[in-house]
Amino acid sequence: MDNGMDSILDTYLFETNSLLDQLEEMLVRDEKIGEFSSDDVNEIFRIMHTIKGSSAMMEFGSLASVAHHIEDLFFYIRDKGIDSLDPEHKKELFNLMFRSEDALRGQVEKVEAGEPLDTDMDSFAAEINGFLKKISGAEEEAPADVSSGQEPAPQAAAPEGLPADTDAACFLHIFLEEGIGMENLRAFMIITAVKECAIDFRYYPEGLELNPDICGEIAENGFFLAFDSEDAASKAEDIVKTQGYIRSYELVTPPQEEPPKEEPAPAGAPEQKSSAPAVPEKKDTPKKAAANAPVKQSLISVNLMKLDSLVDIVGEIVITEAMVTSAPELDQLSRDSYDNFMKSARQLRKLTDDLQDIAMSLRMVPISGVFQKMNRIVRDMKQKLNKDVRLTLVGEDTEVDKTIVDSIQDPIMHMVRNSMDHGIEEDVQDRIKAGKNPQGEIILSASHTSNEVVISITDDGAGIDPEKILAKAREKGLLVKPEEDYSKKEALGLIMLPGFSTNQAVTEYSGRGVGMDVVKKNVESVGGVVSLDSNVGVGSTFTIKIPLTLSIMDGMRVTVGKSIFTIPTANIRSSFKISPEEVIYDENGSEMVERIDGFYPIVRLHQFYGIDTEVVNIEDGILIWVENNDRSFCLFVDDLLGEQQVVVKPFPAFLSCFELKNSGIGGCTILGDGNISIILDILSLHTATLENNI
Amino acid sequence: MSDVMNSQDSREIKESNPNVNSAVERCLTFESGGLVLYISTEHVIEIINNHSITMLPLVPPYIKGVINLRGQILPIVDMRLRMGKEETEYTSKTCIIVLDINSVSLGIIVDSVQQVIDIDLNNVRPIPLKRQQKMLDGMVTMEDGRVFMSVDCQALSNAQY
Repeated sequence: MDNGMDSILDTYLFETNSLLDQLEEMLVRDEKIGEFSSDDVNEIFRIMHTIKGSSAMMEFGSLASVAHHIEDLFFYIRDKGIDSLDPEHKKELFNLMFRSEDALRGQVEKVEAGEPLDTDMDSFAAEINGFLKKISGAEEEAPADVSSGQEPAPQAAAPEGLPADTDAACFLHIFLEEGIGMENLRAFMIITAVKECAIDFRYYPEGLELNPDICGEIAENGFFLAFDSEDAASKAEDIVKTQGYIRSYELVTPPQEEPPKEEPAPAGAPEQKSSAPAVPEKKDTPKKAAANAPVKQSLISVNLMKLDSLVDIVGEIVITEAMVTSAPELDQLSRDSYDNFMKSARQLRKLTDDLQDIAMSLRMVPISGVFQKMNRIVRDMKQKLNKDVRLTLVGEDTEVDKTIVDSIQDPIMHMVRNSMDHGIEEDVQDRIKAGKNPQGEIILSASHTSNEVVISITDDGAGIDPEKILAKAREKGLLVKPEEDYSKKEALGLIMLPGFSTNQAVTEYSGRGVGMDVVKKNVESVGGVVSLDSNVGVGSTFTIKIPLTLSIMDGMRVTVGKSIFTIPTANIRSSFKISPEEVIYDENGSEMVERIDGFYPIVRLHQFYGIDTEVVNIEDGILIWVENNDRSFCLFVDDLLGEQQVVVKPFPAFLSCFELKNSGIGGCTILGDGNISIILDILSLHTATLENNI
Repeated sequence: MSDVMNSQDSREIKESNPNVNSAVERCLTFESGGLVLYISTEHVIEIINNHSITMLPLVPPYIKGVINLRGQILPIVDMRLRMGKEETEYTSKTCIIVLDINSVSLGIIVDSVQQVIDIDLNNVRPIPLKRQQKMLDGMVTMEDGRVFMSVDCQALSNAQY
C-alpha cells in the first residue's frame, strides 16, 4: 500500500506522538504534586532516549538534538537524585520540560506537514544546558562544553580529548581508512565484532550507528572504545587487528585527574560505582522499551484509512443485503421457498448487524486523550492568568468514534479556555465574597446516553448574564427580533453567533469572537449540537451532544410526492391517521393535533419542501410523531414504505453552500434499488419549520 | 456504456501527443441552450445518460438534484438553467457530463454532446460583453466558421453565483 519509507515515517510519527503524550501526562500529573518520582525521571530519560534515537535514524536533526539535551539533563538528574533539586529549580524544570515538549511537538508537526524542520534549535538547546549548568552548580565547565554544539557526543566538543568516561581504565582509539564512506556503520561493525567476544566495553560517540551525520567526525577523529580494565582492552586489541578498513589504532590510558565531563559527578569512589551501571543501561534502553511492550501485547495499531474502508464496505454490504431481500423476483417464489429464503435472510441480517457492530466498535477510542490535553491547557492558563483553578475529569473512559474525537478536540479546548478566561472570576476576593471555594473548578465530563455522547464543561465562575449578552448583541446588530422577545435560552444562544465576543479586551486565549461559533460549526459538522446554560453567580455549563454512530442507522422510509425521505427510527414516537376534525388551528392558521400528553404542531413536508403531491388532505396521508431533544412535533407525509437500515452519506461539498443541514436535511442514503433517499434531521427540521416562522 | 469516455484515455492521448505547440488543448464540445460550448477533456470523467435524478428541496432550480453514480453521490446542474436560459424537456440526446474540477465532482446536463476537438488557446478571445453572472469565459472561431464558447470551470464548480 505504501512504500517502505512512508510506513517507517508513519510508525515514527505514531511512536513519537504517543511518547510525547505520555510525557505530557506524566508532567501534568507530577506537577500537581510538585515532584518528579524517580520512576518518572527514568521514564522521561527513556522517552527522550527513544526519541533521540529514532529521530536521528530518520535524520530529523533538530528533534534529535533537543531530545539529546533533555536526555543529558535527566541523566544528570537521575544520577544525582531528584531530591538534590530545590523547589525553585523543580518549578523551573517543569516549565522547561513543558516548553521542550512543545518544541518537540512543533517539530513533529512540521514533519507531519512535510515542512522543513527548524535547523536552528541551538538557542533552545543552550537554554536546557543553561538549566543543567544552574542545577549542577559547581561543575559549570562541563555542561558549558556540551552547550557549544548539537553534536550527539561529548567528545565532539573537544575533538582531541578523550571521551568522558570516568571509570574507563583505558581507551582504544581507532581510525578508519580514509574515504571508505559510511564510517559510522563500519565503526559499528567493528564494535559488534568486539562485543561478540564477550568483552565488556562502551564506545564513543554514543549511538554512532544511528546517526549518519557523524560519519565525517569519525573519519576525522576516529572513535573510541572504553574498557574498564587493560586486560579487556588488550583482548579487544587482538580482535580489532583482524578487522578491515582500519587505518591505525592506539591504546590510550586516560590521565588520572581527567575531569569528569559528561557526568558531572564528583570523583568520589561511591559516586563512580553508581554511575557505572548507568552507562550500559543507556545502551540497553531500546531493548527495555521492547520489554515493556507486553502490556500492549494484545493491541495493534491500524491505519485509520483501512478502518474507514472497512466501515464503508460494511455499509455497502448492508445496502446490498437490502437490495437482495427486497428484490421483486422474490414474489415469484412459492410460499415455502419464500419462507425458507426469509429465514436465511434473517440469519444474514443478524450476522451483518454483528459485523457492523464490530466494525463500528473498532473505531471507538476513549475520550481520555482529549481530556488529558485539557490538563495542560488549564495548567498553562493558570500561570498566565494567575487564577487558581482545578480541572476535574469525569467519565474519561467514555468511548467515542475516532472522527468525533478528532472533531471535538478544538471545541473542547475553546470552551475550556473560555471558562478559564471569562468564566472563573478575575479576582479571588469576588469568589470568597460569593461564598465559593477560592479555588475555581472546571468539570469536564463525558457520558453516553442510548444514542448520544454528552460532553459537558461546567465552571463554577461568575456565570453569564443574559442582559449583558443582549446589550452586546444589540450593539453588534445581531438581534433579529425585539429584545424583550428573547427568552433566557435564546439570549444565551446569541453567544454562538459569529462575531460575538463579550470580552472587551482580546486576550491571548480567547476573546476574538471566533471561539464559540467555531465550536458550534465543528460540533455540527459531526451532527452534534451545543447548548449553554448559565446562572449568574453560580456558573455556566456548556453541553455538547453528538450522535454516537454516524454512518449506519435504522430509518423509516416515507414518500412525499415522488420523493422518498428517511426518518431516523430513533426519533419516531408513533405514526397515525387523523380526521380533519381533529386538527386544531391557531390564530395564524397553523395546524396542531392533540396527542396523549399535549398539543403538537403539524409540519406538512410537501409544503415546506415545495413538492408536488396529490395527498394534501389530512385524512389521506399519515402523521408521524417525531421527537428529538424535547422538540416534539408531527410530520405530515403521503405514506409509509417501511423500515430499513441505511448508510448515511454526506452530501457532496459542492452543495454545502445551500446549508441543507439547516433546512432539516441530514444527509442522504442509497436505497436497495439504487435510488437516493434524503435523510431528515428532526432537530434542524424543527428549527427550520417551527422556530423561524416570525 | 458505449459512450463512456475514459478520462485516462484522453489524458494518455494528450501526453503521447505533446504537440509542437503547447497551447493546444483537447476539448469536448457540446450543445446547450442553442450554444456550442467546450470544456477541457482534463475535467471530463465520463458521459452518462438515462440516470434517474433525485430532486433536492430548497435549492435553486438549476440544481436538479443528486444521482447515485456507482455509490458516489453526485450533484447535477442543468447547464441551460445555470446560464439563465429556458428549461426544455429532456430527450434521448440529453446527457450528463460528469466533471471533476479541482476535485469538485459534479454532473452537468447538456442538450447533446458533439465531439472532441483540439483548440488552440491562442485563438480564444474574451467575450466582449459585460454581464452579471458569467458562466462562459471565452470564445473561439474554428476554421470552418463555427463559434465555440468556453465554459468557466471555476464559476461552474461554485454552486452559488
